[in-house]
Amino acid sequence: MPKRAKVTREGAHRQRASGKLFELGKSIIDDIQKACPPKLKIPSRGTSNIIYDEGHRYFVLGPHYGVRSAGSMKQVKKFAQLLCTADFARELVENGKFATLREMYYTAEGWDAGPFSDQGESDMIIEDLEVTFGLKREDLGLTPEEDGAAVYGQLVLSENGVVIDATKAGRGGYTIPPTIDDVKFLKCKAKRVIAVETMGMYHRLVQEQAWKKFDALIVGLKGQAARATRRFLKRTHDELGLPVYLNCDGDPFGFHIAMVIISGSAKLAYINHELAVPDAKYIGVTASDIVNYKLPTDKLRELDIARLKQLQKDPRYNTEFWQSEIKKMLELGKKAEQQAFAKYGLAYVVKEYLPAKLGLKG
Amino acid sequence: MKTMAEELFKEFREHSVSEFFRKNAAMLGYTGKIRSLTTIIHEGVTNAIDAAEEAGELPRVFVAIKRVNEEPEHFKVVIEDNASGIPEEYIPDVFGKMLAGTKLHRHMQSRGQQGIGISGSVMYGQITSGRPARVITSTGNGEIIREDVMIDVDQNEGKVMNVEKFEGKWRGTRLEVEVKDVAYQRSRYGPFNYLRMTAIANPHANMTLVEPDGTLTIFENATDEVPERPKPMPLHPWGIMSDDLLMLAKHTKGRTMASFLSTELSRVSKRKAEEVLRLSGINSNKKPAKLTWEEAEHIVSAFKQVKLLAPPTAGLRPIGAAGIENGLRQILRPEFTYAVTRPPKVYRGGLPFIVEAGIAYGGGAGRAVEGKGEGEEIEAEAGMELIRFANRAPLIFDQGGCAITTAARSIEWRRYGVDISTAPLTLFVNVVSAYVPYTSAGKQSIAEEPEVFNEIRGTVMDVARGLRRFLYRKIRIKERQERAGVFEQYLPVIARKAARLAGVKEPDIKALLKKVTGVEGAEES
Repeated sequence: MPKRAKVTREGAHRQRASGKLFELGKSIIDDIQKACPPKLKIPSRGTSNIIYDEGHRYFVLGPHYGVRSAGSMKQVKKFAQLLCTADFARELVENGKFATLREMYYTAEGWDAGPFSDQGESDMIIEDLEVTFGLKREDLGLTPEEDGAAVYGQLVLSENGVVIDATKAGRGGYTIPPTIDDVKFLKCKAKRVIAVETMGMYHRLVQEQAWKKFDALIVGLKGQAARATRRFLKRTHDELGLPVYLNCDGDPFGFHIAMVIISGSAKLAYINHELAVPDAKYIGVTASDIVNYKLPTDKLRELDIARLKQLQKDPRYNTEFWQSEIKKMLELGKKAEQQAFAKYGLAYVVKEYLPAKLGLKG
Repeated sequence: MKTMAEELFKEFREHSVSEFFRKNAAMLGYTGKIRSLTTIIHEGVTNAIDAAEEAGELPRVFVAIKRVNEEPEHFKVVIEDNASGIPEEYIPDVFGKMLAGTKLHRHMQSRGQQGIGISGSVMYGQITSGRPARVITSTGNGEIIREDVMIDVDQNEGKVMNVEKFEGKWRGTRLEVEVKDVAYQRSRYGPFNYLRMTAIANPHANMTLVEPDGTLTIFENATDEVPERPKPMPLHPWGIMSDDLLMLAKHTKGRTMASFLSTELSRVSKRKAEEVLRLSGINSNKKPAKLTWEEAEHIVSAFKQVKLLAPPTAGLRPIGAAGIENGLRQILRPEFTYAVTRPPKVYRGGLPFIVEAGIAYGGGAGRAVEGKGEGEEIEAEAGMELIRFANRAPLIFDQGGCAITTAARSIEWRRYGVDISTAPLTLFVNVVSAYVPYTSAGKQSIAEEPEVFNEIRGTVMDVARGLRRFLYRKIRIKERQERAGVFEQYLPVIARKAARLAGVKEPDIKALLKKVTGVEGAEES
């Protein structure tokens, strides 16, 4: 198990951001001095430019890009706004501070090129910067509103010099902050990561001491995983070398929560190389489980059926496992939640199901 | 001349003048309460301008319309000019004798299309109000004459009464006519718009109008040049109408129909005249004065069946592009004017005509006469205003059936960058010819002769192109200003922020700003 946790991450991504911002400024100054209208190549985020990369097993951006020119009457304002945003990011990065997207939106009220007409507009500019630099917004000191999910297990981390043990952060565990890249992993005894869709299941696993039993970091996703959570999972996999397991409900939405962690989303194609965990393994409820464990079920709703059919055609699901499970679920016409195992007692999932899924049984 | 007049006078006793007037009232323009009043003004103003031009003066015309005894449909119309005045002995003929107008012998492109002239106004006033017309005139010899003139309907003669003479230094003629059963309205059809249109087409004429409510409007002349008078020339049969022929017949020196046609008409030999009369079934020795309306119609159609030389093209007198632009500018105060006078063309194989058009945009253009009617509000019309003229005389009625209207509407205005339903636009079209092809004897709209229609359409498209150039230039200037403003606002921000990112001093953006606002502006065109 490669222990790269000692490598200090702190500052590295910030330095990269600083460098990119400097280069941006420099190239524009050069253009202005040559009396050339400054131009920016911004990779296109349109659906036609989002490509599933079979090799990486996640979505990436294609080769298309748009040019934004300060010499165009229609674009010069956006260009100026982008530079205001970049300069705002520079200040954040230099001072090691963070601001939420919403805060930045309000800050723009005082800009010479502001204000934005709505937050959607300012978020777009931030995405422009992310995609142009190939950096995450968090690297630029900008964070979303929501925290990431919780983690419980034998992991010691350092947040701005404060050392935290994820087994000693209360029953709720350690809350993954939006600024997860500033967090240093100091020590990790866990051998794997088990991420679960619902906080109900998270608390069950914590109570049953699954973290100890399986030498695992238990991560509660709280539904669709936040960027910070995905970044955390990616780091535990890449830096700590831990295998990542995903335990979700047995329905199309549970499948997809897992799949976004594995292969990234189309919307964030430009940043999937920082987020996707293609090696993560799905150990959630499957159609086969419904049959094998005789789980209590719900009927598939029309919406579920339509969604399953969509997934069948999605390149990310183009594996034997997924195709057969989706097909089986459509045939069954049934779905089941993680917590359906409670039918066999509260501890069943830890005693029987997970060991079986993790291949730790017998 | 005297003997001729006596002969004519005999003829008129046969068909009494009042009967003639009544029968032809519509054709003479006396139909409807509003139109009748406008026709009176038209006859007076036309006379006044013509007379001043003949005297070599810049026309100064004063028009007042006054209510009499607070009665709703009873008015006194006053028209005064600065022409040479009328010698005392001619007053009865000028004002009191129908079909005796001086114009009758001069077949030129004339403003007065109705032929019946000012005596018609006197007649109409007399019929409706029972009152004589009052004439005040002086030739500038220090003596001013005031008379009341009535038409003796049976004798077709002017009768003067209450003759008074004063001493005074003044020259000109003032006519006062009392008229009933007419209505004053400040609509497209009323006297106000008539004078406004006349002023545009006659930029040398200075006209003042006092409306019944006392509103005084002065239409100032835009130029000090008296236009050249059209040259009189005989009419050509292709362009003649029954009433023209009838009028000519009353005044010809020819004693027979054959000699009448060959002497009074252009390009008609004795042989041709006889051929035409044979075709029309009329004895070539018939006295011209006995010609009836029906016979005149036969002759007009018979002329179409014989071969004739085309009429000479000389003698057309357009207003000219500069004159039209002057007129439009003076009266409408628009942002932009553009006018075109095209070279002469012919229709029906040889009748010469000229089309000229002008366009005015912005200012007072487009918005037709505003709603200030008599007792009723007339809604102001939005969008393009079309003003039609034939030989400078406004065509006010029968707009829908006129070739000018259909030609103007046949154009796809959006291609010229205007929405004619909203644009502040006045389109001026003048058709100049001794043979204007009117649709009817009312002479208020032009027939859709293919050559005439196409020429009008082409001319209007010419001026529309001028308008398009102006509008595009206007948009471009506005865009360039906006453009410069945008860059002046944002380029400094870009420079400042970029400098902070790169940690350098703020660069000078003057060169870039100049390039961006200048170069791209040129790319647009």
